[in-house]
Amino acid sequence: MSEARGNGRPAAATIFEPLAFRNLTVPNRLFRSSISGRFDNYDGSGTQLRIDWDVKFARGGVGTIISSNSPVHPRGLIVPNYAHLDDDDKIPFWRELGERVREHGSAYIPQIAFSGRQRDIGGIQYEKGLSSTDKPDPLHGFECERITVPQIAEIVDAFAQAARRVREAGLDGVEIHGCNGYLITQFLSPAINDRDDEYGGSLENRARFPLEVVRAVRAAVGDDFHLQFKISAVDDHRAVFPWLKEGTTLEDSIQVCRWLEEAGVDAFHVSAGSLFPHPRNPAGSFPIADAIRSYDTMLSSGKYTFRNYLMFRTPPLNRVLKRRWERASRDGVEGINLPLARAIKQAVSVPVICAGGFQTASVIAAAIEDGSVDAVSMGRPLIANPDLPNLFAQGLDRAPRPCTYCNKCLVNFVENPLGCYEESRYDSREQMVRQILSVFEGAPLPSEVQ
Amino acid sequence: MSIIFEPVQLGPLRLKNRIIRSSLAGRFDNYDGSGTDVRLNWDVRFARGGVAAIISSNAPVHRRGRLVPGFALIDRDDRIPFFRELAKRVHEHDCRYIVQLNHAGRHRGIGDLEFPVGVSSTDRSEPIHGFPCERLSVAGIKELVDAFAQGARRAREAGLDGVEIAGGNGVLVTQFLSSAVNDRKDDYGGSLENRARFPLEIVRAIRAEVGADFYLGFKISIEERMNEVFPWLRRGNTVGESVQVCRWLEQAGVDAIHVTAGAAFPHPRNPPGMMPVRDFMRSYDTMLSSGSRTLRNYVVFRTWPLSRLFQWQWERPTKRLGIEGINLPESRAVKAAVGIPVLCGGGFQTASVIAGVIESGACDAVTIARSLLANPDLPQLFAQGLDRPPKPCTYCNKCLANFLENPLGCYEESRFASRDEMIRQILSVYRGDPLPAETA
Repeated sequence: MSEARGNGRPAAATIFEPLAFRNLTVPNRLFRSSISGRFDNYDGSGTQLRIDWDVKFARGGVGTIISSNSPVHPRGLIVPNYAHLDDDDKIPFWRELGERVREHGSAYIPQIAFSGRQRDIGGIQYEKGLSSTDKPDPLHGFECERITVPQIAEIVDAFAQAARRVREAGLDGVEIHGCNGYLITQFLSPAINDRDDEYGGSLENRARFPLEVVRAVRAAVGDDFHLQFKISAVDDHRAVFPWLKEGTTLEDSIQVCRWLEEAGVDAFHVSAGSLFPHPRNPAGSFPIADAIRSYDTMLSSGKYTFRNYLMFRTPPLNRVLKRRWERASRDGVEGINLPLARAIKQAVSVPVICAGGFQTASVIAAAIEDGSVDAVSMGRPLIANPDLPNLFAQGLDRAPRPCTYCNKCLVNFVENPLGCYEESRYDSREQMVRQILSVFEGAPLPSEVQ
Repeated sequence: MSIIFEPVQLGPLRLKNRIIRSSLAGRFDNYDGSGTDVRLNWDVRFARGGVAAIISSNAPVHRRGRLVPGFALIDRDDRIPFFRELAKRVHEHDCRYIVQLNHAGRHRGIGDLEFPVGVSSTDRSEPIHGFPCERLSVAGIKELVDAFAQGARRAREAGLDGVEIAGGNGVLVTQFLSSAVNDRKDDYGGSLENRARFPLEIVRAIRAEVGADFYLGFKISIEERMNEVFPWLRRGNTVGESVQVCRWLEQAGVDAIHVTAGAAFPHPRNPPGMMPVRDFMRSYDTMLSSGSRTLRNYVVFRTWPLSRLFQWQWERPTKRLGIEGINLPESRAVKAAVGIPVLCGGGFQTASVIAGVIESGACDAVTIARSLLANPDLPQLFAQGLDRPPKPCTYCNKCLANFLENPLGCYEESRFASRDEMIRQILSVYRGDPLPAETA
């Protein structure tokens, strides 16, 4: 039951207060963060599976669902089999998805994205990604071409067209994916962006691309449509390899957020890290055994992947990597980004949503009550407990079997259906497999298949 | 008119011509084995192109028998509606549909969540990739015999036109038949008669379940030639043994024999042709966690001159013998020994060659996979009088190398005006079923 709280107010009372953005009011303070498996067709067309996946969380009571990353252009995919927003022929799918989610009272906000050089699996259409730079990423060695100024204009327009499609599909708002090492981070980050034109160098120049995206999206959707921006408040670019440059600092990000707000952003969604995955996002364990089983699929994606794979397989190198990875969350996972979100909240006047391991009602309520944030977003804890919001509403402070932050979901998604792969959370391995495969049967909640 | 377009009777099944699409598909279905619209689009494409019948891609009769995830299963009655829809859609084009019933045994390119380890006649891991397995008990064998029979019953209930038992290419039935694999000391190992016991039990169980008036084919590797993959492997069954098995199969109620080669998949003779090492390297990585010898193979693919040596060894038989009709000697041997029709696969795509081999009595119909993938409308082109399509299959095997990671399609860029056109053709399966001529 609920933790004893100093103010005597039930956590649920705070969590289930509606949140009013400038153009949108959502029913509660819980967002499902962008998270999904490879559930769609290879060509970017959506499937019933994706609908079932998202509806599961709506039924669980989350107030708002942010879609998994939706490429605005096929070259911007992170991994194949995610529904695109690159063409008007995708609108009917998104309309259907939105309607199904809203039947359960949740709002639906697609996340529009462009991967840049950071592509887990690039797919067959484009051998190389596009980035601010022509240097491969330092972790996997994903190769890329330096984007030209005319290409930048094309991508800006692709974001705007995708946002227009979101509005035409009757959805509730749009989130620009500006964090976690994808294309917008690749412009914002001084550790990555090595341009000497007007899109590189000074902070103002590095912020030019995201600002152009925001203005173009705003122009495409009009002033009365919800537009939020997800940003990595810090790059912490050296978290894995200490010989790299540090990257974007909190001070830089605060300035960028001020500019973005002026350009028309209605809310910020705060994350961290200049790569994905990153020790701070999703923060938690580095599951070596699972990584070996799944990372093999990515060996052909980058120059350093085979090196990494051998490192994963080789003690004690894998232990060293694991220890370094897990250092970032040594002070705890839940609320790891709260200090960052608080700093941004103090600098802007629009609401702030914070990501990072939230799954305890009292922690969430306290973060909202002390003014750090206006809402939280959750990925892994909702995979573990899709009905977590309903549990909070019933007065529980935590799910009986909370997410362990083991990150096995993360490493399995490339090869296997997304689900909770933490066997210790189940009575048996069979029960775990049944829960994972339940998405193919119209996504009953875990309580319904157990 | 060419003999290609003369009807042929395969037991109870009448085909409008002599061209059958062999089992071929990408990972188009759901991970849990439920079928999708993409699979419908895929198969309908070939029905529209004019083949007389389609043999489905391998349909596991049990969840543990998957070769890789992403293929429709026929392991439960709730799969029947999907196959019924598939049959309906294919029948609209005057094409018959035969489901290939399979159990992969230990030969699983990618294990699945439910069963990380396969089953086999033996408990020794597979020698090429090192896929692990457990030895089947006699009770386990009986269960699988019944699973095959139930799979066949579902095919009949779904309104399909027949079933084919996957008995070649290294899957579970091969693992029993093969002298290179089967090391049992019980009734299911040792003599040829014992090694053939499992497939014969399957055939009888299926016959008992579906009756005499339902097509039942059997696909078998006549020459196993494992030493052509790696010279240090045991050769396996040869034509004399396999022909004897075919005689027994005929007596047990099989309606046709489908001739293939090799006790592994892929094998230099199936699909015969090139070894595109670079493409394999890009896709084989996915399999590294599947077996104990995969990392060795991957390093070979990546390392010149080992990769070149492997390629040379792989391509040797087809360089010597040619590709189109490479299995004809084995087909003739079977044809001479049995009274039932014989289907033969192996690179066919020339009308005059196909007509010639049928007229010569080497086989009664041909089965085609890659050449139809390149030209789904190949039968229509033959009907128009073409001897070969303008852009034939090059036997590059890039389709094979790509299927694990990418959508199945023709990846031979030289066959297309541009790379974009190739990609468009590959992705067209997601948008219904236009023929290449309609998307070009």
